[in-house]
Amino acid sequence: MNTMIIDGLSYALPLLIIACGGIFSERSGVTNLALEGFLGFGAFTGSLFVALTSSWFSNGSTVPMYLAFLFAMLGGGFYALLFALLCIKFRANQVIAGVVINILSVALTGFLTSQINSSVFGEASNKFQLGVSPRWTVPGLSQIPVLGAVFTKFYPFEILIVILVIFINYLLYKTRFGMHLRAAGDNPQAVDTAGISVAKVRFTAVVIAGMLAGLGGMCYAYSISTNFSPSIYFGAGYLAIAAMIFGNWKLMPTLAACLIFGLARSGAYQLVGYLKLSSNYTNLALAIPYVLTLLLLIFFSKTNRAPRALGEIYDKSKR
Amino acid sequence: MTETIVEMRHITKRFPGIIANDDINLSICKGEIFALLGENGAGKSTLMSMLFGLYEPDQGEFLVRGQQVKIDSPNQAVALDIGMVHQHFQLVSNFTVTENIIMGVETSKRRLGIFPTVDLKNSEKKVAALSEQYGLEVDPRAVIEDLQISERQRVEILKMLYRNAEILIFDEPTAVLTPQEIQFLLQIIRNLRDNGKTVILITHKLDEIKQVADRCAILNRGRLIAVRDVSQTSTQEMARLMVGHDIAFTLDKKPAQFGEEILRVDSLTVENEEKYEAIRQVSFSVHRGEIYALAGVAGNGQVELADAISGLLPVKSGHIYLKQTDITQESVRARNLRGLSYIPEDRQSVGLILDFTLQDNLVLKRYFQPGFRKGQRIKLERWQSYARRLSQVYDIRSANGIQTVVRSMSGGNQQKAIIAREIDQDSDLQIYVQPTRGLDIGAITSIREKLIQERDHGKAILLISLELDEIMACADTIGVLYHGSLQTEARAGELDMETVGAYMMGAQHE
Repeated sequence: MNTMIIDGLSYALPLLIIACGGIFSERSGVTNLALEGFLGFGAFTGSLFVALTSSWFSNGSTVPMYLAFLFAMLGGGFYALLFALLCIKFRANQVIAGVVINILSVALTGFLTSQINSSVFGEASNKFQLGVSPRWTVPGLSQIPVLGAVFTKFYPFEILIVILVIFINYLLYKTRFGMHLRAAGDNPQAVDTAGISVAKVRFTAVVIAGMLAGLGGMCYAYSISTNFSPSIYFGAGYLAIAAMIFGNWKLMPTLAACLIFGLARSGAYQLVGYLKLSSNYTNLALAIPYVLTLLLLIFFSKTNRAPRALGEIYDKSKR
Repeated sequence: MTETIVEMRHITKRFPGIIANDDINLSICKGEIFALLGENGAGKSTLMSMLFGLYEPDQGEFLVRGQQVKIDSPNQAVALDIGMVHQHFQLVSNFTVTENIIMGVETSKRRLGIFPTVDLKNSEKKVAALSEQYGLEVDPRAVIEDLQISERQRVEILKMLYRNAEILIFDEPTAVLTPQEIQFLLQIIRNLRDNGKTVILITHKLDEIKQVADRCAILNRGRLIAVRDVSQTSTQEMARLMVGHDIAFTLDKKPAQFGEEILRVDSLTVENEEKYEAIRQVSFSVHRGEIYALAGVAGNGQVELADAISGLLPVKSGHIYLKQTDITQESVRARNLRGLSYIPEDRQSVGLILDFTLQDNLVLKRYFQPGFRKGQRIKLERWQSYARRLSQVYDIRSANGIQTVVRSMSGGNQQKAIIAREIDQDSDLQIYVQPTRGLDIGAITSIREKLIQERDHGKAILLISLELDEIMACADTIGVLYHGSLQTEARAGELDMETVGAYMMGAQHE
């Protein structure tokens, strides 16, 4: 039970921050299928930083990890610029642009990782080794039955994400920028006539989406594999989109969806172990969040309401 | 009422092929309700859009408060305290009233000393105070999508007031409202004037001008015809000025030979998409050899009536009979096959498939018939020969013959294509809605002649038009639609143009 909660949370929270990226982008009116590409590129940038600077820090230092998060956000944001340019400046179809961005990210990061490994470090590898993230336990609180698991053996990034989500809630719902962003996803004409640039708002939103997804990708690189490799593209970006849709493009329901996905996954793992099934079944267990996605879709798609102007390329002259 | 707030000097605006505004000189006084009156396409909206910075004039200049100004964006207009309520509201549907009103001019306060937060509470108070001051009843916390059209309009007005607008432009504000809501709005407009605001009202409804306006300018085909004091001018005179002095076309037309009844509409009530009763208890009938013309100002239920008869809109109550058969519940195709042809108002989105070729558009009502197909396979040669014949007979001109994509054809030839397709059905009932809209004189004359020719062939023709001269030129019987009801009905000779015009404006049958 404890393991299920601990693993579930460490899986669900990065998913949540990626989904938050999706919320930023889509609430501003830009359909975003590119989260997978953003998170991969962000994780790549962060890991590259760690690989290049590993000699600067003493063994076991956690500073590279925190800097990796920072660089992952910068890298994700930078990569998202490309998507924003395609969709907003050049008015490309947002679905196609998203898919292209994902494919390009897989190709680019895979290629660059191998190239940098061979030319800088002189080894043939498609991975960057990362250190091991510390895991923290709050004394006392962790002793509470069941709930204590929340405070047991959690990754530092989980705290970071919780703080960020509170800040995102403030940014989206309390500030002028958040208001303009949400308005742009509903009626860009109204935003325009209020004297606000729709393009600027959407551009910023997409870049923030890249930063958050990049951070999420970096978290997975530390929690799931302790290295960066092409296996970072395991579908978290798509699952985050699903979570955002079940969450009706709102923060709290999206959090709930992410928790369900995370707990379903870790629960399935536990089940495989408990029933002493062969490791073949682990693959099946991995599919559970996705099967759940399909089932939830059946129930939730009726009540769901996407932002009204989602995917609509804004054209000033069409007022 | 002597201080001039807005002055227009020699304003001219051309669009490709049309002069929307031709050398217009106007001055509007501070604190008056100034109406701009004119038919559709007279250039009222264009003129005001320039004042609001949506277009720039080709020639001429604007003076606001005596200063010459260049208004090249709505932001600039707002800075000059000019506000405009558009026909299509610009509101964010999932925001509250207050959020919509303050968007772009929000004030922030700092939470915990660092986090700037939009100050909704104070804004709500301010909005509530404004709405009380001007009698604009609306809940500042309500979400837009839960509000009715009239309430949303009030939000738009509040939006202007919140930005301290002094000159308020209303573009046909009553077009979307029910009669009660119209009275309410007119009262609001009076309140605005009494609070010192200047109101510019764009409309083609004479009764509203008579009720609220102080002065009115009459536009016709882009030119300023007259500026009158409303209290000194009769509705009849305004109508005459608005329609213009142009004499109606005289067409070579034999007296009508009425035959049996083809279409009978029996106390028909139709709701439009907003669930508003656009047509109420309308009854009339059209006979063989008769052109029954329905006059009316735009938005009085004409389109809904035509759509209901042709089967595009469901009927709420009442019946439609075609040649004594009740077709009220029949499908569009069933009605077509029984002998109903429809030339819709919106030729581009309803009448044609723009990205198909001329040939494919011409066979749209034939392709399923024997002779045009063999089993499920189409007979292309038959399509081609049929399309070629139609385009010859009806003189449809296009760049690449019958393989021309319809989108690239001129409006006149698009309309000819629809008319060719529909007339060739040899239907006993032909419904024409605005058949000559936007066409040049040559095309207009040929279409009107066609109409009369079809009548002489013993067809029943229902003509719905916004243009009075077209009604007067073609009709054997005239009906006038006003607010969804049949205002009057008479033989063509019994009504003159001005009387019809008065009925169109809602004058009562004496």
